[in-house]
Amino acid sequence: MSHTLEILLLDDEPIVGKRLKPALNKIGCEVEVFQDPLSAVARIDEKDFDIVVTDIRMDEMDGMQILEHVLTKSPKTKVIMITGYAMIALAREAMEKGAFDFIAKPFKPDDLRQVIAKAADAMGSPIDFAPVNGLQ
Amino acid sequence: MPIVIISSDATQAAEKIAKATAKAVNYQCLGPELLSDIAAKYKLPADKMAEAMGVSKSPWRRMRPRRRTQILSCIEAEILDRLQADHVVCWGLAAHLYVQGISHALKVRLLIDEDQQVKEISEQRKISAKKAAKWLQGEMRKKEQWSQSAYGQNELDPTMYDLVINLGHIDPDEAVRTISGAVAYRKFQPMTYSIKSLAGNAMAAKVKAKLLETLNEIRVQARDGKVVVTSKALKREKQKKAAAIKEIAGQVEGVEFVEVHLINYVIREAAESFR
Repeated sequence: MSHTLEILLLDDEPIVGKRLKPALNKIGCEVEVFQDPLSAVARIDEKDFDIVVTDIRMDEMDGMQILEHVLTKSPKTKVIMITGYAMIALAREAMEKGAFDFIAKPFKPDDLRQVIAKAADAMGSPIDFAPVNGLQ
Repeated sequence: MPIVIISSDATQAAEKIAKATAKAVNYQCLGPELLSDIAAKYKLPADKMAEAMGVSKSPWRRMRPRRRTQILSCIEAEILDRLQADHVVCWGLAAHLYVQGISHALKVRLLIDEDQQVKEISEQRKISAKKAAKWLQGEMRKKEQWSQSAYGQNELDPTMYDLVINLGHIDPDEAVRTISGAVAYRKFQPMTYSIKSLAGNAMAAKVKAKLLETLNEIRVQARDGKVVVTSKALKREKQKKAAAIKEIAGQVEGVEFVEVHLINYVIREAAESFR
């Protein structure tokens, strides 16, 4: 790995961060987990992350606003959208606004790791990634 | 890159534009010639396939709904499988009706000028313009009925497409440039969600085609190797039917888990209780 990927993970459901953080640590990523969108935005304003993974439906600020905020502040950051309400219009809107990828929940940690690996490749910082069987 | 689905009532124009678009964007082109491969693979008679696709003179009249759905599922399974290869322009295979919900499928409808159509029909069939117009109306009605009946959608409704091009005002070369340009739009690019949806639809169609060889009234959904089958059964048959569905569906390549939901055949049960 050429450098440690720094990832911000935002989902208002605590279980998502709890399960995904160790899964991403396993492939050498440093992960900061947030449940509150406003705290996440404050952190994004302080630091440029390589990758932001964000839920879409949240109370105080939705994922589309997070996407726009991240890309305005740091255009090279890859933003991955995750949602339990995946629909064609939402998916297309996210891509049009510059999302790197869009994943429907529920998904396996390996699905996210694959997308993270793809994003790392696109940034020119490939990571070693081998699917971990059986980890949900 | 997105897959491109071209639909039109003007077969020649659709073929020409589909092939030219495929060449312009360096894609593979899939068209009705694929039907003979599907017929051979699934051992389906060509005339029955045409009938199921609504292109015979009297669609549905001789074909039982289960047979029609089964043939369409075979076609759907094969086309969806091929669409997963990406970089594909597909025309003349009714794919616009079974890629709804796939965000990286760019659905294009080519319209032709009605007066021009009437003129061509009148010349081909050697009938008056008035009779040609009436014949055309009948054909449009049949198409609408077919798409509603087979897929629950009206293929003549322009809102189901991403791009509608009126060939009465836009020449074919310009249409090709417009479609090729739309291929680059960010919103039509593949993403994990749409790639998985396409793979799920392809698997569901394969399972449905297999189940319909012996069963009726089946609904199938699939994602990540997990398949959910919904059907109807009499209370006393439920266990046996669920086991049969699991066995048949489990034989399809890629299926890892099968969940079966059986709803009671209320009317049949009521009828049997009165015997």
